Amino acid sequence: MSLHGGIPRAIAADVKRGERLEYWTLGWMVSVVLVMWLVMGSSQAMKAAVIEDLLSLVPAIVFLLSVHWERRRPNRRFPFGYRRANSLAFLVAATALLSVGGFLAYESVTTLIRQEHPTVGGITLFGHTIWLGWLMIAALAYSVVPPIILGHMKQPVAERIRDKVLHTDALMQKADWQTGLAGIAGIIGIGLGWWWADATAALFISLSIAKDAIGALEKAVSELLDGTPRALDSNRLSDDAERLIAALKARFENADVRLRETGRYIAAEVDCAPPKDIPTANELMGDDLAWRLASLSFRPEPADAGP
Amino acid sequence: MGSMWRNQGDGTAFAGMMRHRLNLLFLLPALAGCNALPRDASGATERIEHSGEMRIAVLPGTPDAAPALALLHAYAAQHDARLAMVAVHGEHAPHWLEDGKVDAIVGHFAKASPWQAHISLSKPVARAEPKNSKQPVLRIARRNGENAFILATDRAVAETAE
Repeated sequence: MSLHGGIPRAIAADVKRGERLEYWTLGWMVSVVLVMWLVMGSSQAMKAAVIEDLLSLVPAIVFLLSVHWERRRPNRRFPFGYRRANSLAFLVAATALLSVGGFLAYESVTTLIRQEHPTVGGITLFGHTIWLGWLMIAALAYSVVPPIILGHMKQPVAERIRDKVLHTDALMQKADWQTGLAGIAGIIGIGLGWWWADATAALFISLSIAKDAIGALEKAVSELLDGTPRALDSNRLSDDAERLIAALKARFENADVRLRETGRYIAAEVDCAPPKDIPTANELMGDDLAWRLASLSFRPEPADAGP
Repeated sequence: MGSMWRNQGDGTAFAGMMRHRLNLLFLLPALAGCNALPRDASGATERIEHSGEMRIAVLPGTPDAAPALALLHAYAAQHDARLAMVAVHGEHAPHWLEDGKVDAIVGHFAKASPWQAHISLSKPVARAEPKNSKQPVLRIARRNGENAFILATDRAVAETAE
């Protein structure tokens, strides 16, 4: 690992685990998309679910790309390395999540306004014609299982490696299984003759997805604007950032301290002249999170400083 | 899901009714037999049973309508109803179906018909699906959402194909 490139040894195993989970996600979600595509028929609701599942691949893909770039060493053209690729990936993942919520809301509202009555007819398999709704319910039930398991497995890894892209992907998985359940409710509603059930269920889910997505977008924009590091699950300042600010202020006579985040790494700037003894990352962050502090800088002595 | 309905639904009697119905959705598959679903969104089958007639429009230029009419006649008979032929101009027929003024249209439609999203087209009656999706063949058009009627006619059409 160099100053601005590579993955710290302390989190290398967890980052690898995150990558493995994302490859599993891509495999499982592609199988979900295929199954859904096979049974979607002419149902608009199922088409929307397939598009939603395709969009849900975006965070997994951008996570894998950003980790690939994070490992690259700095060079003359990019002397600070490629760690900000993670911040960019976070913005893309949050935008994808918002797109899913927005798309679902649009589809639901237009269906309700136009009072479209969804049609789910029969399908002939092995000489028997059965209601396609049963196959759709089976496909949707299958689509719910991988996101629940994978999302549950990603969450603790995202927290350990402080990865907002992986965290957003876990939110996307939550959106996936919620949409799947809403879809099942919708198909049963269609079966009962309640044409509005499908769209109403999807509309409620889309509001929940949009809320998560807007929260993620706020954090992504904060990070790109060099805001103080935010927590994974909300827009408040992260606990380790708060502790670091307090530790630096205590050490440097209440000097101004500024923190910013590049991907998962914190850069700290203390508004005072460089001290003789510069504290180590372990002293400031503790052994577990020392890897988070990538740089600590001080203000150069002002040119007009007197003797 | 349940908590979501609770959060969003408090306040009005209508929201309470919706919440109650939506909560029921998860129990119904266990309670209802496989044959209980689907039902018609606008109650076509019930209307046919009550009125004793099934309103059919045959599009002009459909000389081979007989197998489709026989199939619809059998369905009507199952529900103690008879076929009532409705005279309607070809251009108006799909609109009448959308508005529920007729229960089914018999005519030639392509698989990739421009009406595809507006009405529910059956598979070809008494013949295989042509390779060319733009070739019009004999089909039964049903009103969107009338899923019990649509499934019943899909079953009957599948039997004619065999």
